[in-house]
Amino acid sequence: MFLAMKRLLYSVFFTAVVLFLTTSCTEEQDFGQIDDLRVTPTLASGLFYIESDEATINAAGALNSFYSQEINFDAFNEQYVAERLLEGVIIYEMDNTTSKELRIIIEFLDEAGRPLDREIFTIEADPSETVVREVSYGPGGKSIDILANTSSLRVLANNLGDGTSVSSAEDPKIILRSGAEFLFELQ
Amino acid sequence: MKLMLKLILAILFCNASIFAQNKELLYDFYEIPQSLMVNPGVKTSQKWHAGIPVISGLSFQGATSGVTVNDLFANDGVDFTTKVQERLLDVMGNKDDFSSTSQIEGFNIGFRGRNRPDDYYSFGMYGEMDIISYWPKDLAILAFEGNGGNNIGRSFDLGDLNLRGEMINVFHFGINRKVSTALTIGARAKIYSSIFQFQSINNSGSFVTTLGQNNIYESSINADMELQTAGVKGFYDIIEEDSGTTQKDVTSLFTERVLLGGNLGLGLDVGFSYELNPQTTITGSVLDLGFINNSKDIWNYTFNGSTTTDGISVFLPEDIDDVNNDLWQELIDDIDEALPHGENESSYISWRPVKLYGSIRYDFGQGGGSVLDNCGCAVNGGSGGGSNRDYYRNSLGGQLFMMKRPRGVQAALTGFYQRRFGRVLSIKGTYTVDKYSFTNIGLGANVQLGPVNFYVLADNLLSYSNIADSHYASLQFGFNIISWNGN
Repeated sequence: MFLAMKRLLYSVFFTAVVLFLTTSCTEEQDFGQIDDLRVTPTLASGLFYIESDEATINAAGALNSFYSQEINFDAFNEQYVAERLLEGVIIYEMDNTTSKELRIIIEFLDEAGRPLDREIFTIEADPSETVVREVSYGPGGKSIDILANTSSLRVLANNLGDGTSVSSAEDPKIILRSGAEFLFELQ
Repeated sequence: MKLMLKLILAILFCNASIFAQNKELLYDFYEIPQSLMVNPGVKTSQKWHAGIPVISGLSFQGATSGVTVNDLFANDGVDFTTKVQERLLDVMGNKDDFSSTSQIEGFNIGFRGRNRPDDYYSFGMYGEMDIISYWPKDLAILAFEGNGGNNIGRSFDLGDLNLRGEMINVFHFGINRKVSTALTIGARAKIYSSIFQFQSINNSGSFVTTLGQNNIYESSINADMELQTAGVKGFYDIIEEDSGTTQKDVTSLFTERVLLGGNLGLGLDVGFSYELNPQTTITGSVLDLGFINNSKDIWNYTFNGSTTTDGISVFLPEDIDDVNNDLWQELIDDIDEALPHGENESSYISWRPVKLYGSIRYDFGQGGGSVLDNCGCAVNGGSGGGSNRDYYRNSLGGQLFMMKRPRGVQAALTGFYQRRFGRVLSIKGTYTVDKYSFTNIGLGANVQLGPVNFYVLADNLLSYSNIADSHYASLQFGFNIISWNGN
């Protein structure tokens, strides 16, 4: 009796499984495709901002440096970031409402303090519009290795004019803005 | 990253492709004893029943309201990254989900009261795993596209991260009582023994990068996020330790948790069946009104705070004497301080996903003999009116299913037809509409060979031509021994 019942259970169960397997099917799937997935987000961030009033520039005197600083900057040379950096652009914007011509130099330094690259911005007194420069890195631009190896920035700001004049503009200033948009390969 | 991505996709799709919660075929299919599990107030007729251990009730359901396995993994020659972009990122919203539920009965036994033949008692044990993950749309777009380019100004909603899952073992005892010829009511008490539970369901916050007030770009984040887990760390530690007895230790811990050794909870099911007239019946049930008190083996992760940054800033003359060259590290430290994250072991309550069923059934087509001729239970016998309702061969009706999910109520509407072929065979066909599918046709069969009962219920049959392209799949089956007399 027990064996007959067991046989019956098995036959019903296997009939159900066979029915399911014979009536259901699926198109060919290729789960290996996941290896072909490319995840390449574009990340944007503000980088460096410097602002000085005209009094500070005058206090430094004519043809003198009014700001000089080396700043540790590891944004790009962290191993995880450096290995995944594909290409990108650093955008600089300058506004000068002071009465003098100014020069700002940004040097990209490696860990030993050696210069890898530099950007020099010379801006005349009180230009009517914002000066914009976009520097590309990667294919078609400067080497991406410059950024990947940059450990610090040296920022130097020089007054190329006199040390006494005062602009008639309200609250005269020199402002340097910078931001970056870079393509990363996460996967 | 690659491994993590594979793991996430595997969890989402393996769950979704095999295994939801709606058991529209089983509901009010009163020839099957397990219908008591979806309505403790269903009409019962047997003297006793015993589910064959482990195979008395197996159900696997899986659902995805957005992309299917076939959409992504069909061998169609389309670049995979393009498919992810066009079929996943561009199409799916944060209300789309991947969900799965599987249940396996350890045992299920029922018997009619000797002194109160109108009462049918049932008890048993079953294991259940339930996982739901809503598509984290904004976070996925942030990962794939980034915050730059066209996404400058776009606010990414961190609340899109919403998932919960648990594995539990349930001990239950239910009473089904025929109050009158027309009304049957029932209730089932449950003790939940949690094996593990995790949830991240109350997240809020945003991340946005805009054109800055000072610098070119300014990024702001405010977050209030938490992942709560209970019972996970114990397994994690065993696997991490990798002592050579990993399998044994996992089995031991699993067994302990199954047998009330972990976090515990209480729950209640209630239901009824009421005959409006001999041919028309309405039913309703509420299942899993309950909770689990998670106080053991807790491992929570929190991330909250808010900050805005536009990079390194130097203002002259204020900063002229600041010769510190660690401005970058200071910036990182400031952001880190503004966004505290950490772990804690605070206990928490997790609520069970409450389910509600309702139905109306119209019986017609009198048969030659009762399906329950041999019932010795005095329930469907001549006493109390002994109506001939069981003689109807056909049933036609509609059912409503609602379930509380982390992002609101999920509902389904079902129309059904049931045909009985004597006592041996009963077949039920359903058409269900819900967020997963508008073409869900299901078919269930209950076979009674002497005392041996076998049932199989399968949903969304049209999808079986290409199961990988299905948004919903469900299969339930089981064996029971049923008696309608005193033997």
